[in-house]
Amino acid sequence: MNKKSKALSNVFMICVIVWLLLPLAATLVYSLFRNWTEIVPKGFSFNSYITIFSNPRFISALYQTVLLCIIPIIITIIVVLLALFVVTVYFPKLEKYVQLLCMIPYTIQGVILSVSILSVYGKAGGFFGNRMVMLIGAYCIIILPHIYQGIRNSMHAVNMNMLIEAAEMLGASRLYAFFRVIVPNIITGITVSSLLAVGILFGDYVIIRNLSSGGTINMQIYLYQAMKRSTDESSAVIVVIMLLTFAITALVLYLQSKSKLEKIQKEGR
Amino acid sequence: MSYIRFENVNKSFGNNHVLKDINLEIEKGELVTLLGPSGCGKSTLLRCLSGLEQVTSGRIYLDGEDITDVSPRRRGIGMVFQQYSLFPNMSVKDNVAFGLKMKNVPKNEIDEKVKEMLDIVGLSDKIDQFPMQLSGGQQQRVALARAMVTEPKVLLLDEPLSAIDALLRRNLQIEIRRIQQKLNITTIFVTHDQDEAMVMSDIIHLFNAGQIEQSGTPVELYTSPATKFTATFIGNYNLLRAEKFGKACGAELDCADVAIRPEIVKMSREPLEEEDYYLLKGTVTNYISHGNIIRFHVDCGDVWLNSDVVFERELAFNIGDEVYVGVEKNLIIKL
Repeated sequence: MNKKSKALSNVFMICVIVWLLLPLAATLVYSLFRNWTEIVPKGFSFNSYITIFSNPRFISALYQTVLLCIIPIIITIIVVLLALFVVTVYFPKLEKYVQLLCMIPYTIQGVILSVSILSVYGKAGGFFGNRMVMLIGAYCIIILPHIYQGIRNSMHAVNMNMLIEAAEMLGASRLYAFFRVIVPNIITGITVSSLLAVGILFGDYVIIRNLSSGGTINMQIYLYQAMKRSTDESSAVIVVIMLLTFAITALVLYLQSKSKLEKIQKEGR
Repeated sequence: MSYIRFENVNKSFGNNHVLKDINLEIEKGELVTLLGPSGCGKSTLLRCLSGLEQVTSGRIYLDGEDITDVSPRRRGIGMVFQQYSLFPNMSVKDNVAFGLKMKNVPKNEIDEKVKEMLDIVGLSDKIDQFPMQLSGGQQQRVALARAMVTEPKVLLLDEPLSAIDALLRRNLQIEIRRIQQKLNITTIFVTHDQDEAMVMSDIIHLFNAGQIEQSGTPVELYTSPATKFTATFIGNYNLLRAEKFGKACGAELDCADVAIRPEIVKMSREPLEEEDYYLLKGTVTNYISHGNIIRFHVDCGDVWLNSDVVFERELAFNIGDEVYVGVEKNLIIKL
């Protein structure tokens, strides 16, 4: 690549970054200034942030959002890992059917899913009648294709059967070999899938609105309510959601980069 | 009683009958090679012994015990795979120690054994490295160390050198043989490379289409092929119809085919007058250099012969040269 085309691509990249960051920057400005009727905003203040962080409903929404992200993701990862282990090791011919099943939620809209769940389990008492259980179940279904595809691709990349056979010959059970040898090698795939799922669950409004019936609020519902009250406050909520998402992403990537294997993979031989 | 015994072993994958009534005995401490072309069933037999494949019928005995239905992890067999199968997330030390940990060996003993084994394979300085930081040859030696450190009853090597370049491969062949002899470990080696089998084995079992075609020491197999297939697969025999060969040299042979090693085909510019030889006349049509050996192709009318001549100072014959050819009568193998 010559200097001219390199400079051109750099300019193009900068334009794209600016274009993507502009709405975020505008939201940040909105949340920090009281007036923005002229070019330069006026009235710098942290009031919006003080307001939302002093509101117990916001703290509760934040807490529940994080919880409603973590629990379905953990459940789905465990289920997918075990399913893929069984299918790959014992019933490889069933893999295409499992894949088909796991891909179905791609085609289901949130509103259809939540209404269907309500109609089936709404009148059921006990464990399955619990709205929180229904909500977590619905979230598991929504993120299933993303988690499944990410883990499956990583598994195929490490030649799972061969490594399990090698571990088996050394005296390990297949399940032990799977968790001790395979899982550490597909951790990048699990991380990427989880981050994708965090993004999806953080942005949910429809499912929680239908299934929680007001009992549980997440950040999206709080945001909707805040928008009715004040633009500044809603801007502050958006900024907090974004920062939280960045923080979770950064934390996961940091933890991943701390692993010795990851360092070696980056350094090469 | 033999250390390892296969008794009427059959293995089918659907309609594909891969192993056909295999009866095979292996003695303790031997390095035995299963040799044969791709798809002949040699790796399948190895996997049946390891337990990674179940036999369709028949029994397998190891050290007097019927292991046919024993799970792979309880058979006490070590295996080195073609693609090494080292665990990428573990260091060399952890890879080698894996089997010992599975056996609940105390930690200090594990450290000692791992160090000792890495000394044997010459990789002590790589103990903290990860597989992807090692070359192919080093990875294969780690795989070997990992399989041997648990002191298995049998070591299985499934084409372990096929992904390694020629020079390193020759060194590793000698290395594996040295380690095997040092530890006196019963080893079964699978390869499709007859040179490799010749270099490494005590006994070679030649496989063809799911059956054992011929068994013997490397020298026996090379000098006395019992079938046409063995003669084709081992060495570079001239395989000729006996009738045509007899006609070309004016003799009568009481067999269907003859196999002639190229190194016993004598070439001369002067007529050969030796009683113990079948004599022919031909023209050099081509030659191929194999380093110290030049293989000449000679057209003798109805038959074509390859003759190996040791390269000395200059090429003994040129293309188009008329030559006299002699084949010692008692060295011809009748098939």
